[in-house]
Amino acid sequence: MSLKRVRILLGKEFLHGPRNYIFIFSVVAPIVISLFFSLIFGTLFSEKPELGVVDEGSSQLVPMAQELDSVVTKEYATVSEMKQAVENGAVDIGIVLPPGFDSSVMQGERIEITAYIWGESLAKNRTIIGVTIADLVRELTGQEAPVEMEAITLGDGESIPWNNRLLPFVVLMAVFLGGLMLPATSVVNEKEKKTLEALVITPTTIGDVFLSKGIMGFILSLLMGILILVLNQAFGTEPVLLTLVLALGAIMAVELGMILGAFVKDFTTLFAVWKFGGIVLFAPVFVYLFPQIPEWIGRIFPTYYLIQPIVELSQQGGSWSDIAVNVFILIGLDLILVALVMLTLRRAKQYAT
Amino acid sequence: MNWRIIGTLVAKDLSLFFRKKLIVALTALGLVFYLIIYFVMPSSVNENLEIGLYAPVIPPVFELVQEEGLEIEMAESEEALKEAVAEGQYIAGVVLPADIMEQFQSGQKPKIILYFTPDAPQEIKDAVEVLIRELAYLQAGQTLAIDISEEILGPDMVGMPIPPRDRLRPLLAIFIIMMEMLGLANLISEEVERHTAHALLVTPMTVIDLFVAKGITGVGLAFVQAVLFMSIVGGMSGQPLIILVALLLGAVLVTGVGFIIAAVSKDFMSVLGWGVLSFIILLIPSFSVIAPGTITGWVKIFPSYYLVDTVHRAANFGSGWGDVGVNLLILLGFSLAILWIGITVLRRKFQ
Repeated sequence: MSLKRVRILLGKEFLHGPRNYIFIFSVVAPIVISLFFSLIFGTLFSEKPELGVVDEGSSQLVPMAQELDSVVTKEYATVSEMKQAVENGAVDIGIVLPPGFDSSVMQGERIEITAYIWGESLAKNRTIIGVTIADLVRELTGQEAPVEMEAITLGDGESIPWNNRLLPFVVLMAVFLGGLMLPATSVVNEKEKKTLEALVITPTTIGDVFLSKGIMGFILSLLMGILILVLNQAFGTEPVLLTLVLALGAIMAVELGMILGAFVKDFTTLFAVWKFGGIVLFAPVFVYLFPQIPEWIGRIFPTYYLIQPIVELSQQGGSWSDIAVNVFILIGLDLILVALVMLTLRRAKQYAT
Repeated sequence: MNWRIIGTLVAKDLSLFFRKKLIVALTALGLVFYLIIYFVMPSSVNENLEIGLYAPVIPPVFELVQEEGLEIEMAESEEALKEAVAEGQYIAGVVLPADIMEQFQSGQKPKIILYFTPDAPQEIKDAVEVLIRELAYLQAGQTLAIDISEEILGPDMVGMPIPPRDRLRPLLAIFIIMMEMLGLANLISEEVERHTAHALLVTPMTVIDLFVAKGITGVGLAFVQAVLFMSIVGGMSGQPLIILVALLLGAVLVTGVGFIIAAVSKDFMSVLGWGVLSFIILLIPSFSVIAPGTITGWVKIFPSYYLVDTVHRAANFGSGWGDVGVNLLILLGFSLAILWIGITVLRRKFQ
């Protein structure tokens, strides 16, 4: 193996790589998906009931409702617009406040309001919105609560918002698209165009070619992993440890990419392997998406040992002692994959000669 | 059109597909994993606020409350209540003082303690506080002078909410169909790249025969997998014929898209590029089922909306032909139009 030749090949990868579709996709897709999740999924899986209001007067109830944490309040200009929103499920319940609503309730006059309810709205959401409206009206009329309340939280911990649960998926995608797919497609492309055979006729060895492609994939994978964590403000309090874990994950991705590149002959097969293998790689994500799934299921999959330390460090304020065992397992997996890459390269040499 | 030639070509494509044992195995395993995804998703929705109550003296309002979506269960002691809350049996625990009724009568403010689990979201904490306060108002005799008349829009699903995994069902079925779109586009693109398509056209086979054969292969592979998936996950139990027709039209639609992708692509990379773009666009309407209300009326410009909506309504609500007939007609129109565009652009490429 010649470091000089590896450097030249790496330079070629850097020069031509950014024109490659997979390279662009590896950079763009995680960023777009991350933004998409932050903007849409952050509120998509919110369990807050949603109230729609059409205010035909200028009731104080609307700004009061909008300040609440327990209910999301959306104001609509017309009744038909609001009914449409209820029918689509954009809000659970829509109410129309008639002109002079505030003065009527303050004077104790009996008022009738219509509530449009989305058929698929959960019963608890209907209850919460109902009592919230009643509570707001009482506040509007200046009624004093007949009780005092003290809220006590039992134990430690906190609820996990959906955009945090989705972070492992985006991080894995960032690490594996660049780390796995880039070297794999690059090798397969060289095979299909017969340039790999041409290369190994020169003093360049198959190891030089694979190493240069691996380094390229590793750099992209690590940078994308860091970028995604920075974009999601999830770099935590242990940036060095987190970078180390990402680097180990990038190595795993690159090794898998090299093995794939060596074994797979064409893009059709590569695509089919990705179709299935992608599901295996991303399986641990479901443990974080749905905490009801037992954690041991996640442990079956190798990427769990990458994701658990990342989640622990970035979201749960963990330290080395919380991730040490899994990091050692990750290192072990990386070493096993190194051995497999070596064996694979031997096979690739045979192919090249 | 020569059906014998078409049959031979379909048999050749299928034999090529099944000859690659790895691809067959991975396709089958892919299907198994989609099924696993479905089965590990939550199969039920807890649509009630389950609150534990410890009260040495139970105020009548708390005892009689029969609010929809609210379940109040009595605990034997404050310690038992705290334990039950900590174990997640209740979303909140409420402790009323022993002299609550006397305090109400004397105009004093009784102190109520609320226990929450550490992972209870803030909105739930606020909601339970509001709820208990409202019950206290009622117990104190402070009723509201507001009458609320309710109008339910759409089928009322209280008591039978759709579990997340059933909401995901149309998305997964369509995902399977669309994956085959990429496979078909690649199959044709390879034929063009290797010039085997041109070689075939030298034989008595016509361009139409070639398209019909590729179409049958594409539709068949996508349709069979999607039907198999829907059958296993119980999606065919309500309106099987409607689901079958919808999936068939969906398979025709993605075959048309596959033709267009094959026509504009030069190699696998461009198939992947255009394919993923089409994939994302066609997948957008699925979010209207997974998270209703996040996507508004503009989603109807996507042909896949009519497929997603039909599968969702037929599988999850048991909607009949009268309810989804228009959807199916629009889907048929879109599918035929896109297939025609696909054939036209691909024919130009061959010529």
